Amino acid sequence: MSESTRDRGTFTTNQIEWRLWLIRLLSLAGMAVSAYLTWAHLARQSVACGGSQGCDIVQQSVYSEVAGIPVALLGLMAYTALFALTLLRGHVPAPWQDYVPLAIFGISLIGMLYSAYLTYLELFVIYAICRWCVSSAIIITVIFALSLPDLNAEVDLP
Amino acid sequence: MTSSKKKKRRSARQKRKGISTAHILIVAGAAVLVVGLLVILNTNRSQATMTDPITYETGVTLEGEPYKGSPDAPLQLVEYSDFLCGHCGNFADTIEVIGPDYVETGELQVIFRNYAFLAPESIEAAQAVECALDQGADKFWLYHDLLFANRGTGISAYSNSRLKAYARDIGLDTRAFNQCLDSGVKLEAVQADKAEGESQGVQATPTWFINGQMVRGGVSETELRQTLDSLLTQVP
Repeated sequence: MSESTRDRGTFTTNQIEWRLWLIRLLSLAGMAVSAYLTWAHLARQSVACGGSQGCDIVQQSVYSEVAGIPVALLGLMAYTALFALTLLRGHVPAPWQDYVPLAIFGISLIGMLYSAYLTYLELFVIYAICRWCVSSAIIITVIFALSLPDLNAEVDLP
Repeated sequence: MTSSKKKKRRSARQKRKGISTAHILIVAGAAVLVVGLLVILNTNRSQATMTDPITYETGVTLEGEPYKGSPDAPLQLVEYSDFLCGHCGNFADTIEVIGPDYVETGELQVIFRNYAFLAPESIEAAQAVECALDQGADKFWLYHDLLFANRGTGISAYSNSRLKAYARDIGLDTRAFNQCLDSGVKLEAVQADKAEGESQGVQATPTWFINGQMVRGGVSETELRQTLDSLLTQVP
């Protein structure tokens, strides 16, 4: 990434960098939330929910697992992958550079759509709101939004 | 800067614009497919229509609660369950697995109580098992097992029509069952069960009482066996 990119008034290296940093931080936050929920689900522990029973109701519901895998664990895997991808950016050979923002876009899109479905289940099927799950839905939506500009970014490839 | 240089730079810029719309669309399409698959896995699980036959003593307590195992058993387990609660289903499976060693040997009596609190479907399912109980304690346990076997078979796992279909599957008198379910005659009993649970400190499911001692949450088969074995050594 050279100075010339910055001069052109398109997305600068700095702008891409801060978005990456933000995605990295949000992925870490998402990892923390989903790791906590995964642990609570597997250890059958009650979830701290600010005085509400919503988290336990959602976590105990039949929708908290897909084919035997806790949904929270799927989230943990997705956030971990996103975090790893932000570290990879800039460290992969030129022909593969494009795949990093593309992968971040794809994974966060899956996460956002699936979170939307889960939020629908909470509101209209389980009739309980799990605040941790909602916070994860917000995190993944922000990551998705942050992933978009990078798809069009003009970057000097090494 | 000459115009040819400008042109050159423009084309170089174009080249650097790496991610094509086609690539983005392919990834977006794949993402939608993955989510679709996850949703299908979550809502379209295979439906059970048969469960294991009843091989143990069943009956109804003086308070009208269904039980399995001998009323004279040294150990008594009272469980509060919601049919929509995944851990309740897992715990019911665990009790089923240890059944031959404890329930059928006369060492453990299991009493079921509804604690329907998760969703309107929970209350529907709870009323349905009460209706099944009207046709006999063994029918209750068959119906109970079938409901749990179908947990998570979609949003409508405990819809009115599915609840009636389960009753038909296990050979209940469907006319009496349907009438019982549709009339809402069991609603009061279901609410009374929950109130009874609350008065005993139940807040979530599964919560169970083993010889009067409250345990919150399900346990593994090993843990349950250990608990029962250690209690059995204390019984004269």
